[in-house]
Amino acid sequence: MTAVQLPDFADDLVAAMAARQTNRAEIPVIQPAEPFLDMAGEDLRRRIYLTENENGDSLCMRPEFTIPVCLGHIAGQVGTPRRYSYLGQVFRQRREGGNEFYQAGIEDLGEADIAAADARAISDAAGLLGELLPGAALTITIGDQGLFEAVVAGLGLPAGWQKRLIHAFGDEAALRRMIESLAAEQPLTVEENGLSELIAAGDVPALAAHIGSVMEETGYSTHASRSPEEIAVRLVEKTELEKTRLSEPAFSALKTFLALEAPLADAAGKLESFAASAGLDIGSALELFAARATRLEEKIADLSTVNWSAAFGRPLDYYTGLVFEITSGVSGPVLAGGGRYDRMMTLLGAREPIPAVGFSLWIDRIETNRNGSGRRA
Amino acid sequence: MTVTIALPSKGRMKDDALAAFSRSGFDIVQTGSDRSYRGRVEGRDDIEIAFLSASEIARELGAGTVDFGITGEDLVRESLPDADRAVTFEARLGFGYASVVVAVPEIWLDVTTMADLGDVAADFRARHGRRLAIATKYHRLTRTFFSKGHGIQLYRIVESLGATEGAPASGAADIIVDITTTGSTLRANHLRILSDGVMLESEACLVRARKLELEESPLAGEVVAKIRAALPRA
Repeated sequence: MTAVQLPDFADDLVAAMAARQTNRAEIPVIQPAEPFLDMAGEDLRRRIYLTENENGDSLCMRPEFTIPVCLGHIAGQVGTPRRYSYLGQVFRQRREGGNEFYQAGIEDLGEADIAAADARAISDAAGLLGELLPGAALTITIGDQGLFEAVVAGLGLPAGWQKRLIHAFGDEAALRRMIESLAAEQPLTVEENGLSELIAAGDVPALAAHIGSVMEETGYSTHASRSPEEIAVRLVEKTELEKTRLSEPAFSALKTFLALEAPLADAAGKLESFAASAGLDIGSALELFAARATRLEEKIADLSTVNWSAAFGRPLDYYTGLVFEITSGVSGPVLAGGGRYDRMMTLLGAREPIPAVGFSLWIDRIETNRNGSGRRA
Repeated sequence: MTVTIALPSKGRMKDDALAAFSRSGFDIVQTGSDRSYRGRVEGRDDIEIAFLSASEIARELGAGTVDFGITGEDLVRESLPDADRAVTFEARLGFGYASVVVAVPEIWLDVTTMADLGDVAADFRARHGRRLAIATKYHRLTRTFFSKGHGIQLYRIVESLGATEGAPASGAADIIVDITTTGSTLRANHLRILSDGVMLESEACLVRARKLELEESPLAGEVVAKIRAALPRA
């Protein structure tokens, strides 16, 4: 078993992050497990190290820094905008590599200029990597869930479908399956229940009254879980949706969009011609995308190493816009990853919405990369 | 060489397992009293019998401390992280049938498929301020089925040690994952199985630990061959 030591470049990295106007966040190793499971889903449970305190509360060894940094910000009631940096060990059961490893990163909370904050996150990550790996060829890939949301909304798809598609965005296989199933004949799955007239009439109050009375008769609470109204509304929506299918133009527009890829310098142009040929209005999402690209251009001299991929995203419900990854070479290991998570702060309990963007650096991979190039030299 | 075979220590499953061995020509006697946890096969000093609880059998097979076991496929897949790498299912024995299913309140008229459940789970936090809660004792099977099978991540498992089917009505959870044979307990609790919500059709199996010495052992081969030969024809 190898000892996990602080990397020899730790001091330089801390100084480099401080020079980027950040406050160092000190995060305890032992954390309440609940927020991580709540944000990332039950799947995380098998990848984190769980324990309990005397009261039986679930605790874990920190599997990452973003959530505790955000929680600390909310608890501290500090003003925004505020930028945090961190460097420390995280603990996760991984298929490859060790189970305890170092991560560093920056979280930028509350910056209202979205395009500027996005561009700054990308250029900070690239800049830090540039300092740690002088002369290394880095490739930056960016994606933007906001564009996909705009395309889906622009196609005028039913609200239920929009939600399903956006929820699957970032998981390519799931998204492809879903698009194909929406384009196929929908199987009718609402069972015959004697309510078809009410459903066809869209009579939500009558349906809800019926559902509520059945709940009471069968000993189910009408408020502990899904309410009669919620069930009635979705029953009507679903029955309506099952009669329709994704139109041919919408199907091919989605397929075309998801296949788009371009160097960042050409991306906005490609998006414009896509929108024009599909007859879509994706105006404000495209404006943000273009503004971000312009800001990035000011910060990164060579945009030819920055690629945009329309299908690139993360299937977690708090990611909202930009996602990015920086790899060594064209398809080497991911050295940095980040994105915008505007929904997280309120999910974690902030009273006001707080825009947030950040990234983390994979210190162990950066170390490997440094040693590798050192040997070659 | 001797082999150790773990059998269920009580209940219907124990009787059926003893009968299956008896049909195969292995008459098992419990040493000492019938509450003893050791046994032997009449006339065979190369076979040892250990009586264990059904879920212990799965764990011991995974650890390789017993060579064979008779237990439900559901318990093996729930107890062992990579079941097919740790053990091999040598024979399905035709008893101990149980399906592991996803069931929702009957009155959720709009939820009949896993895709519906995915929609509801995605929206749940925004509507109710908490994730969809699933009562189950099948954590591993549930996670695999929900996330790998259906891309559903946003739910919480609520530990359930008994009477899982009562959890939705009592408010302890929204839906359940549980075993059922006839479905009558689910119906009595006003729960309905989703049309694509059958996670596993389980039955009692003869399960062998994956160990090199067993792959090549004539004795292990004999046990498997005799149990298979005595299976009731479908």
